[in-house]
Amino acid sequence: MARIRSILPWIAPAVLIPIAFVYDVARAAVDLGSGILSVTRELALPIAFLAVYAGLQSRRAQATTNVPKAIGRLLMVNAGALVLLGFVSLVISFRPENSGSLPFRQNSINILGAYIVGSILTVASIVTLLSIQEMVLIRRTASVRRNFLLYLVVLGVASAASLRFLPLEGSIVATLAFVVALILAVVNSFRQPWIVYLSRREKVYGIIYSALLFVVLTILDVVLARHSTGQRSMQAFSSCLHTFVQINALFATIYFGMSFVSTLFHLPTAEVFERKQTELNSLHNLGRLVTQVFDFDDLVRTVTQMTMEVCDARGAWLELFETTENETEGSARLVARQQVEEVVIAGLTEDLNSPIRRLLRDTHRPLLIEDIWNDRRTKHLKERGISRGALLSVPLLSQGRIIGALYAVKDRFQSFDQDDIEVMTTFADHATIAIENARLIVRSLERERLKQELMVAQRMQRRLLPQTMPELPGIEFAAISESSAEVGGDYFDFFALDDGRLGIVVADVAGKGVSAAFYMAEMKGIFLSLSRLPLTPREFLVRANQAVLESLEKNVFISVVYAILDPATGVLQLSRAGHCPIIHASAHHAEMIRPTGLGLGLTDTELFSRSTEERELCLGPEDVCVLYTDGITESRNSAGEEYGYDRLLALTRRLSSGGAEDIKSGILSDVRTFVGASTSGDDMTLLVIKRSATSGGHRV
Amino acid sequence: MTDFKVQHRDGEGVSILDLKGYLDAHTAPDLETAFQKLLNDRKFNIVVNCRDLSYISSAGLGVFMAYIEDVRKNKGDIKLTNMSPKVYNVFDLLGFPILYEIYKDEKEAIVKFRNAQKA
Repeated sequence: MARIRSILPWIAPAVLIPIAFVYDVARAAVDLGSGILSVTRELALPIAFLAVYAGLQSRRAQATTNVPKAIGRLLMVNAGALVLLGFVSLVISFRPENSGSLPFRQNSINILGAYIVGSILTVASIVTLLSIQEMVLIRRTASVRRNFLLYLVVLGVASAASLRFLPLEGSIVATLAFVVALILAVVNSFRQPWIVYLSRREKVYGIIYSALLFVVLTILDVVLARHSTGQRSMQAFSSCLHTFVQINALFATIYFGMSFVSTLFHLPTAEVFERKQTELNSLHNLGRLVTQVFDFDDLVRTVTQMTMEVCDARGAWLELFETTENETEGSARLVARQQVEEVVIAGLTEDLNSPIRRLLRDTHRPLLIEDIWNDRRTKHLKERGISRGALLSVPLLSQGRIIGALYAVKDRFQSFDQDDIEVMTTFADHATIAIENARLIVRSLERERLKQELMVAQRMQRRLLPQTMPELPGIEFAAISESSAEVGGDYFDFFALDDGRLGIVVADVAGKGVSAAFYMAEMKGIFLSLSRLPLTPREFLVRANQAVLESLEKNVFISVVYAILDPATGVLQLSRAGHCPIIHASAHHAEMIRPTGLGLGLTDTELFSRSTEERELCLGPEDVCVLYTDGITESRNSAGEEYGYDRLLALTRRLSSGGAEDIKSGILSDVRTFVGASTSGDDMTLLVIKRSATSGGHRV
Repeated sequence: MTDFKVQHRDGEGVSILDLKGYLDAHTAPDLETAFQKLLNDRKFNIVVNCRDLSYISSAGLGVFMAYIEDVRKNKGDIKLTNMSPKVYNVFDLLGFPILYEIYKDEKEAIVKFRNAQKA
């Protein structure tokens, strides 16, 4: 089916042209009159070549355009047609006296010659028209398409006006159509959109071909217009097609004349355009690469590669600075290198404080060394055998900090231009984004991992604290411990002692966060084992100090309150090791109990035991004892004011009639209200002991 | 938010550190740096003037603990002066007055150093 369709357009010429030929030969011998037969013969050839036009057009539909090549082909076609015309005109000769009379009466050889010349010129004309059509319609807009179609229509009208059986030859209509067709030809000739996209080399070819084609077409124009073998053959062949070929030849002459001139004018910009094109392509590729953070090496390689290509440099390299905050120390790490010997890089930028790097760091601007041999910053390289040339380095800037630099070297000195600086700055920016992206991802992964670890630590630390409050007759307990970070250094615990009494501990490791949490865990072990021994609170703390003295860092200490409560009597023995004073309150009075005592880990056993006191107080019915860490009293509001002891003492007294749980939550909510929106600074622990209304060994 | 400053003065053979603002876990490294510098310069007679110190946390106290041993090993001392009652209370809670000499005025501390040198 496809084959039949491809053959179809050729059936018309194959049938019509021979018939017309036979008719002409017959008419040369006999007068056939000017009836319907002559009209048919007149129409036969235009129709045949219309079919050829259609056939060629459909074959060209998929043709891609390398325009200079296409012009070259047209040159061959038209020059070939002209040469053939020359040959034919050697063989045939029309008698001049016949030129005026229509139709011609010629011998068969002349008729055959006219047919050959006519067919070839018409086909060449169609091929040329189709090529121009393609060139005009590259990147077309609706108006471009319209203009070209208009030309085709007027061309058709002008050609039709030349049909001999129509009484239009030389009429105003024919002339008008001819003129309009030429105007439209000029209009369409301004469409040379393909020129801009040609490479320099292609432009050169385009100029040569256009010029030659222009010459060939001009000759053709002359041949077709003047009384020559060509003109006469065309007239004998078909006056309609003659007009068609003539107008087309003029169009082509104008078009390629314009092409020649335009391309010539575009030639100086070819290099710039090519360069911009490469830049655009590079940036497009880079843009894509930037998002592929995991191909970091690939990215920096591409950046240096492109720098080389776009700037036409001999070599390029990229280095990252690993600096400290003040940007004066650190090292530079070479991450990508193209065509540059390491010795050059080392020579140019020996250490982070080399003149070049220092300048980059100080100015944050591109640095151009026009001549490596004669620049004071790089003069020393001449002795090292480094070749003369130019160096351009561009800083990689991220949030006002320099994180690296991109370098390019050229063999010729003074060979970098403003464009090079701009394009390298853009490349450096892209590289910066990619590097920052990569770093951010690593950082966020790391942060996520740490967060997970801290969550585990938090869960584990929570389990080190008592999960339930001790149940003792006549005594209520309530406690809470909150860390400002995921983990903290506050600790409280209860130990059931062998004699039925209860050991109570509240401790605070100096500092907060992970290190404090580790010490807190260690303390738990120490306290738990000491609680098994029959010790007074003071002895307990002396032993604890002894135990931690070796293991604590110099700047870490632990403040502790240890108390032993006899539930039967309400007697509370306690010692304080550098910890916050203990509150003893009832409805009528409240006081801070503050026996002397040094924090754990501050001093040796001798001094510690000498300076640590022990107190005893008796919790009467309804009495409250509050143990806490400095996170409570040192809570600060947004004005910077501290919560303080006085507030806590007064509040405890006010709340003392309530249950332990109420007192605890009352204090906590008061502290929170006080702090307000300001971020809580320290770990907070609060432990409330409340003796019930009726004293004695049983519950109420 | 937390503002802290350490300034170093030379007072005739005694090095004086003036502390100002909030000394907590965030600002403690500044004081550590100051102490470290004195130790590097082999200046072991140190007076820490706390007149403008408005707050000290346990981490801040830790700084003194970290250096006292080295200083005393070199026959020097860290003496604290001019504390506000609030700051003194923090030192006192932990038992620092047992471990450190604390004076009302800087001059007393300097005189103490002088006398010790003469002796």
